[in-house]
Amino acid sequence: MLTGCASIPPSVSELPQAARAIELEDTPFYPQERYQCGPAALTTVLAQSGAGASLEAVVDKVYLPGRQGSLQAELLAATRTEGRLPYVIDASLAAIWRELETGRPVLVLQNLGVEAIPRWHYAVVVGIDAERGEVVLRSGTDRRRVTRIRTFLHTWRRGGYWGMVVLVPGQLPTAPNRSRYFEAIAALEQAGRAEEAAWAWQTALREWPGDTVALFGLANAHLAKAEYAAAETAYRDLLERVPDLPAARNNLALALAAQEKFDTALEQIRVALSNNPDPAMEKELRDTEATIRGRMAGAGD
Amino acid sequence: MCLQKARGALMRLVSVSIICMGFAQVAPAGMIGTAYMLDDESRAASLSRIEVLLARQDVARQLEAFGVDQALVVQRLNGLSHAELLELEGQLDAQVAGGDIIGLIGAVFVVLLILELVGVTDIFKSF
Repeated sequence: MLTGCASIPPSVSELPQAARAIELEDTPFYPQERYQCGPAALTTVLAQSGAGASLEAVVDKVYLPGRQGSLQAELLAATRTEGRLPYVIDASLAAIWRELETGRPVLVLQNLGVEAIPRWHYAVVVGIDAERGEVVLRSGTDRRRVTRIRTFLHTWRRGGYWGMVVLVPGQLPTAPNRSRYFEAIAALEQAGRAEEAAWAWQTALREWPGDTVALFGLANAHLAKAEYAAAETAYRDLLERVPDLPAARNNLALALAAQEKFDTALEQIRVALSNNPDPAMEKELRDTEATIRGRMAGAGD
Repeated sequence: MCLQKARGALMRLVSVSIICMGFAQVAPAGMIGTAYMLDDESRAASLSRIEVLLARQDVARQLEAFGVDQALVVQRLNGLSHAELLELEGQLDAQVAGGDIIGLIGAVFVVLLILELVGVTDIFKSF
């Protein structure tokens, strides 16, 4: 993935002027077994967020014996199955500092080898000492690995500056990137975590009041939780603000049909179809229409 | 297409979650997920970024010099899938991360690249 501002590499100079030293000393430590730095690092940040996953359970979810390692996507997915929201931080030392200040350790991907002979490694940043120029990590079998910031930045650069924090749904990342945060919540929703997604969308709406996507997400969470009346109200509020949202009309129709308000449901589909949706959306709407008609016939028996 | 993919992924997730979790909830069939709207939004952002490029005077002049109708290019852009748009943006980004794209690689190149990717020309295949 290319990001527009990746041309400015992270450096010590971006730390706040007043930055001295911070260390989350109470972060737990799970020494890794052979090759299993991914599960060990993930268990560490999960535990710090209050999720009680055991190292063994996490190993089963993210460790790929064939590759002797874990993929970033699996770390993200495993976090979701614990009902937590994984958020990939900005590629900067300042972002790590900010998260540490909030009390969240940061899981980072490092390449301890060189680019030609990579040695991938996951570790958890628990402290930065700006005055001494050091980073403190839970890493491998070291409870407290102290590395020079410059060295850390080299290994982190070769790891693509990838780092994530584990949020309890309802917590905002510090200096959140809207689209990245929203993608993270949508992924939680897709993992079937409607309850947690609802909290996260509510939090998002406090930061971005009236945001169309967040309102849609919250309504979807209600629908997924089978709270049909709440879902109906939420979709209607949204459509009052932004009438031309066929996806919201489609879902509103489902919420209405679930309450056996079939005629109103079909009316919503009709309105959406009359607004020239794209072909894929039109198919969705037609499918929903057929579903509603089917249920109508069933209810009439 | 995006919807089908999302639905496929959802079905896989649903089947996995039924087996191994008690907490996950299954969204009703036919519900369009929030990811769809996010996808739509980022597609629109890609489009407008490329359209801003096309609207630049130096780029527009080049298009005209090649005898290409700008409306045609915009029309082709609109027909691209989100993945294709992202690829086009990625290609533009790959030339220069951040900064002024046109200043660094020149309007002619940008125009050629866009034309190639929206299928108006077929120059780069020969390289």
